Amino acid sequence: MIALLAGRLAWRQLTSSRARLVSAIAGVMFACVLVFMQLGFRAALFDSASNLPRALQGELFLINPLTLVMFRPEPLARSRASQTLALPEVAQAVPIYLAQAKFRNPDTGRQRTIQLIGFDPEAGAVDFAGLAPLVPALKRIDTIGFDRRSRPEFGSVVGRLERDGPFEVEVGGRAMTVVGLVSLGTSFGADGNAVMTETNFRRIVKERQPSKTDLVAIRLRPGADAQAVKASLATILPPDVVVLTGAELIAWERSYWEKGTPIGFIFGFGSLMGLVVGMVIVYQILFSDIATHLREYATLKAIGYSNTYLRLVVMAAALLLAVLGFVPGFFGSTVLYDVVAKATLLPLGMATDRAVAVFGMIFAMCAAAGLLAMRKLGEANPADMF
Amino acid sequence: MVAPIALRGVCYTYDRGDRPVLRDVDLAIAPGEIVLLTGPSGSGKTTLLTLIGALRAMQTGSCVVLGQELAGANERQRVALRRRIGFIFQQHNLLGFLSARQNVAMSLEIDPAAPERERLARAGAMLAAVGLADKTESLPGQLSGGQRQRVAVARALVGTPGLVLADEPTAALDRQSGQDVVRLLTDLARQRGVPILLVTHDPRILDIADRIVAMEDGRIVG
Repeated sequence: MIALLAGRLAWRQLTSSRARLVSAIAGVMFACVLVFMQLGFRAALFDSASNLPRALQGELFLINPLTLVMFRPEPLARSRASQTLALPEVAQAVPIYLAQAKFRNPDTGRQRTIQLIGFDPEAGAVDFAGLAPLVPALKRIDTIGFDRRSRPEFGSVVGRLERDGPFEVEVGGRAMTVVGLVSLGTSFGADGNAVMTETNFRRIVKERQPSKTDLVAIRLRPGADAQAVKASLATILPPDVVVLTGAELIAWERSYWEKGTPIGFIFGFGSLMGLVVGMVIVYQILFSDIATHLREYATLKAIGYSNTYLRLVVMAAALLLAVLGFVPGFFGSTVLYDVVAKATLLPLGMATDRAVAVFGMIFAMCAAAGLLAMRKLGEANPADMF
Repeated sequence: MVAPIALRGVCYTYDRGDRPVLRDVDLAIAPGEIVLLTGPSGSGKTTLLTLIGALRAMQTGSCVVLGQELAGANERQRVALRRRIGFIFQQHNLLGFLSARQNVAMSLEIDPAAPERERLARAGAMLAAVGLADKTESLPGQLSGGQRQRVAVARALVGTPGLVLADEPTAALDRQSGQDVVRLLTDLARQRGVPILLVTHDPRILDIADRIVAMEDGRIVG
């Protein structure tokens, strides 16, 4: 009840000066948007890093334990794929080849690195949107499928294809025909992707030995227990490969970017800066509110209000600002996510868990500002009133 | 009936000054009595008022206000006692963002158990008693100095205090409105039987008092 009355007093004080209220809300909103953008970028970059592993169909995967990250794989023996077929639960083991090569922009002639993904398109181990109708065309010699979500720096491949049909581009110094489009998405490691058969992959990457692959997708028979098969595979395979589930493969890829690069730290630091700026703004507002009302606060103490009550008023004002700033900050960030996602092709969007986390941070930020501003209350000494 | 204020042997020295501000002050006020405290500045009047008002911790002597011994009282006991005292300051010190009625009701909000409607009704009635029935919803900024001080009087009296302490309530007002405010205060206090201790320099209001106490150099001289 006391808290409600203190909250009402705080509300009346906050709303008494529109200009001050608006600037305080703008400050909280600014911090809110900044934190949302930083965390959104972070999540989008980590999500996009796992674009490729997420598109793979398979209950289990084999990789070389020395592989840190998909775009720079350590090869593993192709024979490991055949070995897994020893288990009756394994239906298929599909080798997937990964490499990066130069792609010449058909408009400007400039070269840019593209991610090549080579696999047997009929094995059903990879499911990129748009792949199925391309399979017959991809089986022809020197053909590739181009990722329509590649960055625009690769040129107007999509436009040309839709206008003129298949056309030739230079990939890794070799003329290849773009026969169609798939949809995969960019990541840290790859600005664009091209898919092709194993055979066509080796025509571009000539130094690659056929006996070495980069990743093996294992499909199990219906009803097989992936964890049990994983355990049995670990016993029959030599230690030059690790067996991972789909989720573990995604986590493997993410953990490189989270732990092996400063990206996580950079965005975490950016969020912290946003919170610090927001806290300073809220502190300034609360502090000046107390400073200008010092006599009135001292009077309230003189007529019998406790220090606790006045602290409640300050805290209530801080938390009201948190809520008032978060709501527009949330909607503003949702709109900004959309704008930025269109500009960067990153998978950026509002997520409930992030919204809850950011609200928690903004709340804590305002509470910290409130606690700092409260120290000023000590100067409201009722004995000085006479 | 117990005396609302009973002081015996009260001495007070500020931390930095070696010269005591109050020396061995004895003072008693009877129920319903209106006492003026006068004296040159620096004579210790204000310090005495802050001690009686429980706004300052006691040093030596005994000071019983409304039955509460203040010597050795803790902050919680002092805050509790302040709630039973009506304070009027030189400045009105009203909260600028609250209406006159809300400002007066702040005195009653200390007790959160009372219903809001009753608080506002009592505040309205008190404002009517100080002649501001038509100004209840005005903000302090929209009132004249005399009207603001009358709101402050209403705020001091609305909680039915056992004692009113006033420190030069006319200082910021012109002659006429100053006299009006003090007469209003004393009339209302007499009707309710509330004792008043009023510090003033203002010779024009001496006639309202039951008794005048003069201070000089930290002592009561008459």
